[in-house]
Amino acid sequence: MKSYNLNIAGYIIRIESDENEFELKPSSRFIRSIVPGENHEVLVRVHPNAYLLPENAEKVFSAPVIDEINFITNNESKEFWSVYCIDSKKYFIRTVYTNMNNQSEVTLEFSLCSKEWDLWIESVAEETDPLAYPLDGLLLYYLTVINSDIMIHASGVNYRGRGYLFSGISGKGKSTMANIWKNDGAKIIHDDRLIIRRIDKEYFFFNTPVYDNDEPLNSPLSRIYLIDHGRKNKIVPVYGATAVIMVLANCIQHNWARDIIARRVESVSAMCQNIPVAELYFKPDSTIIDFILDNE
Amino acid sequence: MEILKQIPSHSLSVVSRRTGDEYILVPVTENIADMDSIFTLNETGAFIWETIDGRKTVEEIIHIVVNEFEIDDATATKDVIDFLSSMKKFLIITVQPLPSDNSSGTKNEKL
Repeated sequence: MKSYNLNIAGYIIRIESDENEFELKPSSRFIRSIVPGENHEVLVRVHPNAYLLPENAEKVFSAPVIDEINFITNNESKEFWSVYCIDSKKYFIRTVYTNMNNQSEVTLEFSLCSKEWDLWIESVAEETDPLAYPLDGLLLYYLTVINSDIMIHASGVNYRGRGYLFSGISGKGKSTMANIWKNDGAKIIHDDRLIIRRIDKEYFFFNTPVYDNDEPLNSPLSRIYLIDHGRKNKIVPVYGATAVIMVLANCIQHNWARDIIARRVESVSAMCQNIPVAELYFKPDSTIIDFILDNE
Repeated sequence: MEILKQIPSHSLSVVSRRTGDEYILVPVTENIADMDSIFTLNETGAFIWETIDGRKTVEEIIHIVVNEFEIDDATATKDVIDFLSSMKKFLIITVQPLPSDNSSGTKNEKL
């Protein structure tokens, strides 16, 4: 296809190519996020060629390839993706798509003020998924920045209309917690990464397409728990600035620009004034569900 | 104490945000926020932070703290200087002497 609209976390993203040489082919994880219509929040124009960065573009952030084997994280010196900037106005994300042993340099040019972005893919196949990993997450990340929303490492469930978010770094039990609730009939919004948005004075959390055929889901947000394993179930409410910095620590952030940092701190502070936050130590069994419900 | 004549300013390398009676301070070094070193200021720290404006001397800040919290001079002096020393150590404030003090050799004095 030459164009399609995605609805991810309520953001309508139009992907468009006016070139005839290739077809846009979203991967299967995006299929259920495709929506009809022409209206969109951001337009991404796809171009089938390499992009030469302007000479005055300054590299402001570089993410290494990170391998995690047996819980040991290894930061390789190889660059995975990087961000370039011109005068804090125009940004470029550069990464490489690897497909069938073919490496293709990819550049996304965007601005936090503009809703029309450009994506250059060096060597496209006849059918190309323009939003391959890691660009999909990066694009969504900057949409959260523009909209003062929050992207967070967390699992989230909806149980009888209430939305519970369990946040923590890798190994703290996000997936374990999601599975416990799933076994009791809760709807799992996602088990690893969520976008939190304030819509009409109410907070919601959304999944993003990560796995094949991911269905777009969301839930009102009732409570945030910062989780860790414990010998017994225990809730410790946290308030004020302490709550803000604990939640901030689990947010996904590329903190290379003051205005982005300020927006993120602002968003999390506002959320923590509306949504209760607590540390939660839990045993990995179904007793945690009643424990949480009894302590609301 | 020559320290009393110095003028503290908020560093340009910190993002600050008031939340309730407290403050959140996020240092930004080499364009990267250090999320492992986020600071929170309690009500007293928040008051001193808001009093720092790049114009008032340390002595003036102490005087304002004495009036606000109704504590004695010695306690306020120790609390304010300890606070400013910590903030300077973490590059959250910068300190400069009064212009007229440049010739008196206080320029390099550290908090």
